[in-house]
Amino acid sequence: MAADSTGVTILCVDDEDLPRTLRKLILEKQGYQVITATSGEEALRLLDRGGIHLVLTDQLMPGMVGTELTKLVKSTKPGMPVILISGVNEIPPDAIFADRFISKVGGPELLFDTVAEVLASYAARTETE
Amino acid sequence: MIDHDRANILMVDDQPGKLLSYEVILAPLGENLIKARTAREALDQLLRHDFAVVLMDVSMPEIDGFELADMLRQHPRFQKTAIIFISGVHLSDLDRIKGYESGAVDYISVPVIPELLRAKVSVFVELHRTNRQLERLNSDLERRVEERTQQLRESEELLRERADLLELASEAIMVRDLKGIIQFWNSGAESLYGWRRDEVLGKPLHEVLQTKFPGGYESAQAALTETGTWDGNLTQITRDGREVVVACRKAFKAGGSAILEINRDITAQLKAEDALRKNERWAAMGRVAGIIAHEINNPLESITNTFYLLRDHPSLDEEARYYAQLGEQELHRVAHITRQTLGFYRESERPVEVSIASLLDEILELRLRRLEFENITVEKKYRDKGTIQGFPVELKQVFLNLIGNAVQAMPEGGRLRLHVFEPWPRNIQQSLVCISICDTGSGIDPEHAKHLFEPFFTTKSTKGTGLGLWISKGIIQKYGGSIRFRSMPVASGHVTCFQVLLPNADFRCIEEPAQAFPQADPIQVLAGGLDGR
Repeated sequence: MAADSTGVTILCVDDEDLPRTLRKLILEKQGYQVITATSGEEALRLLDRGGIHLVLTDQLMPGMVGTELTKLVKSTKPGMPVILISGVNEIPPDAIFADRFISKVGGPELLFDTVAEVLASYAARTETE
Repeated sequence: MIDHDRANILMVDDQPGKLLSYEVILAPLGENLIKARTAREALDQLLRHDFAVVLMDVSMPEIDGFELADMLRQHPRFQKTAIIFISGVHLSDLDRIKGYESGAVDYISVPVIPELLRAKVSVFVELHRTNRQLERLNSDLERRVEERTQQLRESEELLRERADLLELASEAIMVRDLKGIIQFWNSGAESLYGWRRDEVLGKPLHEVLQTKFPGGYESAQAALTETGTWDGNLTQITRDGREVVVACRKAFKAGGSAILEINRDITAQLKAEDALRKNERWAAMGRVAGIIAHEINNPLESITNTFYLLRDHPSLDEEARYYAQLGEQELHRVAHITRQTLGFYRESERPVEVSIASLLDEILELRLRRLEFENITVEKKYRDKGTIQGFPVELKQVFLNLIGNAVQAMPEGGRLRLHVFEPWPRNIQQSLVCISICDTGSGIDPEHAKHLFEPFFTTKSTKGTGLGLWISKGIIQKYGGSIRFRSMPVASGHVTCFQVLLPNADFRCIEEPAQAFPQADPIQVLAGGLDGR
């Protein structure tokens, strides 16, 4: 699955600085554009500006948790892919609203594969519509 | 016993003058004097009172003394009544008197000498009194005997009831003498140990049961002798060779001639407690694991990402790049370990339809590049979709593990064969899905075979937590399935196949997916030889 990252902008949400920064850096190394947000609220504001193709969000955050953000995104922008990434082992029940739920322990390869897969499936969808 | 009751004396004479004179003569005796003028009156009195002696005039009109005496002798009540005849001494009379052999009989001749009469009457009165005393003593004794007999009867009844209760008791109740010979063995003992009463009476108790004392037999005996009782747990063997643990209580029987032993089977209870403790440990471990997992996973991701960025960084010289590589490799191992041990994913809430064939394809898809790179050819034979109800993530874990092992066994390349089919013979009640994963790798050492599914057992030197197969087996067992393997040498090396059987049933009984730490127990292993496929 070759990843076509050209012109794709990912919104990376995480309250913790280092993890968020590192995730941004590796995604950029993979060729994606990355915008970051430190909270669900900030993420929603940034989304409204447009230009984002995928939301990648941490689950455990103070205030709005990842699944809440996912639900809000999906209810306002149903065509927006959302991937939940987490350090917890228990998949929260609302994770079903996201397109994928992946573990932080999966490593960069898992992240890249998942992002590519989700983008590809959405691209296929828009083609058939 | 001094009897102060006055005796009754009956005086029978038709002549009132004579009666009066007898009264006067006998008055000093201080007894009860009763007069009768005719035989009929005499009989009447006799029926009313109990007389010590009857004084009878032989010559009476109508019924004379002898006739009256005859009448008395015929009546059972008066057969023994003492009679003194008053008679003129006629030869015929004397003969007659001597004829009365039964009862006390005497005579006194007229004219009556007062002292003589008094003496004779006194004798009979005394005799009567003594007899009465004896009778009273006798009936008293008889009464006491009857009471005692009744008491014995009652206590016997009680003992019988108690013996019945002993039979009802589910505990084993046994009595043995001081040498250990069994004297009593209740039905509780029969059902606990399997030995019938008639088989063990007279045999030595601890030999029959092969008792193991925790501190040794001697110390138990010593404690018993000192305090009179002993309790503790014992390990014994039943008739059919089963080991049981009993809670035992011993006590000396009153008198110290025998030892009573009451044993309760606590084998099941101990097993349950043990299992509960183990479960609690597992649960505690699970909770700790969950906490550690979360705390580790976050920084782990960051470090992994950092190394990823360092990979092939232009500013690194060869040496630095080498160090970065080493770091990344070790970190990869840490991630692998946490994934296996701590990173157990929770699944969807309900079981869904899972096609095993599709699952295998997904796994192959993930590893396609690596398989090509490693010179491994993949042979797929899906005769069936292998659809079951289950949890996809954990099932994927199982086959990831098995395929991963197969690939790792072929570092120089080889053939990976995946089969999905319904095994023969087909069972109408329950259909099975059989998934077989075979590799042409180095094979499984028979020595390792028996440990393969144990936790922390691994043959991989650098990677491997040793938990993969153990976890996989746990998951498979939860579906009511089984896993087995065989490894056999062939011309070109070895062929090793792992075969998973999963019932194709509707798993309504599975409420949630497997826990992170499944219980391990022994499985059947086929090592070597074909199994008729």
